Amino acid sequence: MAVTLPPGLSQQASRKGAAQNGLARSRAGGRILRTATAAALAVWFVLPLLPLGLWVFADRWSYPAPLPQHWGLDNVESALARGAATGFAGSLGLGLMVSAVATPLGVLAARSLAFHPSRWSAAVSALLFAPLALPAFVAVFGLNVLLVRLQVPSTAGVVLVLTAYALPYTTYVMRLAYAAHHIGFEEEACTLGATRGQVLFRVQLPLIAPALARAAFLAFLVGWTDYLVTLLVGGGSLVTVPLLVASAASGTGNDGIVAVLSLIALVPPLALLLLMGMTGRRHRGGRT
Amino acid sequence: MYGGDTQGNAYVDDYLVPAAAKEGVTLKRVPVADTKDALNRVLTEKQSGTTAGQVDLVWVNGDNFGTGKAAGAWACGWTSLLPNMGVTNPSDPLLSEDFGTPVDGCEAPWSKAQFTIAYNSAAVPGPPKTLAGLLDWVKEHPGRFTYPAPPDFTGSVLTREVLYSVSGGYTNVPLAFDQGAFDRLTPALVTELQDLKPSLWREGSTYPKSSRELNALYAGGQVDFTMTYGPAELTKLVTDGTFPAATKVLALDEGTVGNASFLAIPSTSGHRSAAMVVANLALSEEQQARKADPGIWGQFPVLNPGALSPEGRALFGRLPSSPVVPGYEVLSKNANPELAAAWVPALDELWRRQILAGK
Repeated sequence: MAVTLPPGLSQQASRKGAAQNGLARSRAGGRILRTATAAALAVWFVLPLLPLGLWVFADRWSYPAPLPQHWGLDNVESALARGAATGFAGSLGLGLMVSAVATPLGVLAARSLAFHPSRWSAAVSALLFAPLALPAFVAVFGLNVLLVRLQVPSTAGVVLVLTAYALPYTTYVMRLAYAAHHIGFEEEACTLGATRGQVLFRVQLPLIAPALARAAFLAFLVGWTDYLVTLLVGGGSLVTVPLLVASAASGTGNDGIVAVLSLIALVPPLALLLLMGMTGRRHRGGRT
Repeated sequence: MYGGDTQGNAYVDDYLVPAAAKEGVTLKRVPVADTKDALNRVLTEKQSGTTAGQVDLVWVNGDNFGTGKAAGAWACGWTSLLPNMGVTNPSDPLLSEDFGTPVDGCEAPWSKAQFTIAYNSAAVPGPPKTLAGLLDWVKEHPGRFTYPAPPDFTGSVLTREVLYSVSGGYTNVPLAFDQGAFDRLTPALVTELQDLKPSLWREGSTYPKSSRELNALYAGGQVDFTMTYGPAELTKLVTDGTFPAATKVLALDEGTVGNASFLAIPSTSGHRSAAMVVANLALSEEQQARKADPGIWGQFPVLNPGALSPEGRALFGRLPSSPVVPGYEVLSKNANPELAAAWVPALDELWRRQILAGK
C-alpha cells in the first residue's frame, strides 16, 4: 500500500513507473490491461459499500424487495439522536490525541535507532514492536487493574495504551524514512552556519514531512478504529463511533443505523488519505 | 446498558434521562454490545479496590448478575430503601430470585419479559399450540425452523423449554440443579433434539450463532419462526418492515418461561446515591407506564397491579395495545419458572457435545 512506503522507496517506485510508462507507450495492450485491472480493483473496493449507501437512505427495506421501498432520512435522524455527533467528536479527539503523542515519540525513537546505534538497539526495537505481537485483550486486562489502582483518569489511560499500540507503526515508518535520509544534509547546513532551529525546520522537517504525515495518519487510525481499549480502559467515559457501531450491530433491525455510523466512520480516514495523496503529489512535482 | 435495542436507547434518552435531570441527577447512557463488557469493567475496578468507579448503574439479569454477585461486584441491601419498591409485590418470585440467585437487595427490578416464539402467519396457517406440536410441525416442514446455538442466551432458553416439554411439563424438572435429575431427564432431551436436527434449516449442519442471526434468517424469509426473550422488540420490527407484516406470537398452551431484568449498582460506584435515585425513578408508575407503551419500548412493568395508585391505574389503562404482542397477562399465563443458573452451563455443554458435535 502506498501509505507505508518510505519516501525513498516511493520515489524510486514512481521513477520506475515513469520508465515503464515510456516502454509501455508502444504496447497499448499492456495499458488496457492495466486500466482494466485498476477498474476491477476499484469495483472490488466500492461494490461492498453500495448496499451500505442504499441502507443509509432506506426508511423501509424488507425482504424480498431488491431496492428500498421507502427512501428518507430516518436512519440519519435516529443515528444523530443516539449520539452519532458526540461519538464522532470523541473518536476524532481520540485519534488526534493518539496521533499527537505517538508521532513525535516515534520520530525520536526512529532517529535514535537510525543515527545512534548501540548494542541495545535490537532490544529497544523488539520492545517497541512488542505491542503488535500482544493481543490488545490480554494487555488491557492486566493493565486496566494497574491503571485504575494508580487512579489514572480513564481518558488519559485510553490515550496511553493506544499510544503504545500506535508506536510500532510510527517508529517503523519513521525508521524507514531515516534510513533513506542522509544526515550529510544536516551536517552540510551546520557547516554553512545554520542554527539548530534552522536545521530542524528548514532541512530535516521538509525532508521527512511525507513520512511524518504517513506516521501521523497510521497513529490516527489506531485511535479512530479502536473498540476494546476505549471500552475496557475508558469504562464508558469515552463514547466513540466504534462503540456505537458495535452496540447498534448487536441488535436486530438496525441495519440502517449501522450503515450511517459505518459511513461516518469512513469519512475522516478517507479525507485524510486524499489530502495526503494530493499534498504528497504536489511535493514530488515541486522537487523534480 | 445493552445498546442494540434502539427503542430501549430512545426510551432512556428521551424519558429517563430528562426525569433524572429533574431530580438533579445527570444520567449518561453508555451503549455496550454485551452486558459482559460492563461487568468486566466493574470486576477490574473491584480487583483494583477503587471506590470511585466509572460504572454506576447496570441493566442486568441472569448469569451476569449471578457472576457479579459471587464476585462481590454489586452493592447490596439498598433496594428496600427505594420508596417505589412499595408498588411491587414483595412475594413475587420473579423479583426475589434472578435465575435461582437470591436478589438480596443487590438489584432493583426494572422490566419483566416472557420467552416468546413468533411466526409468520402467512407461511404457517394452522400454528401449533404446544411445544411438542411445534417440534412435529418442524419435522413435517423440513428446513423452515432453526434456533440459535447455545450458549447463546435465546437458544439456551429453547433447549430448556424442550426439556420441560419432553419431561412432561416444568413441574417434573427440579428448579435447583441436581445431577441425578440431570442424568435422568436429559437423555430424552438429547433424543428429541437429535431427531429434530435433520429437519432444521440446512439439515442442522449449522446453526445461527445468535438470536440476531436467527432474526435475520426470519426477516429474510429463510425460516418461518423466530424467538426472543424480549417480545417488546417485535412491535417495532413489524412496524418498520424488518419482519413480515403477518408476524404473530405463538400461544403455547403450557406457557413459556418468564424472567425479570434489573438495575444493579456496582459496589465500586462512586455515585451510589445518584444511582439509587435513578433506580427508584425507573420504578415509578409514570416511568414504568411510559416504558410499557408499545410505541415507546413495550417492556412489561414489574409493578403489582393491585398496589397501583388510582392515577397509576389510569396511566396503565390508557396504554395502547400492540398489534403484534399480546399483553403480559396473556403471555405470562401458565408462566414457567426459570431453572437455576447452574442448569444453564450444564445443558449448554451437553448440547455442544451431543448435538453440535454429535452425528
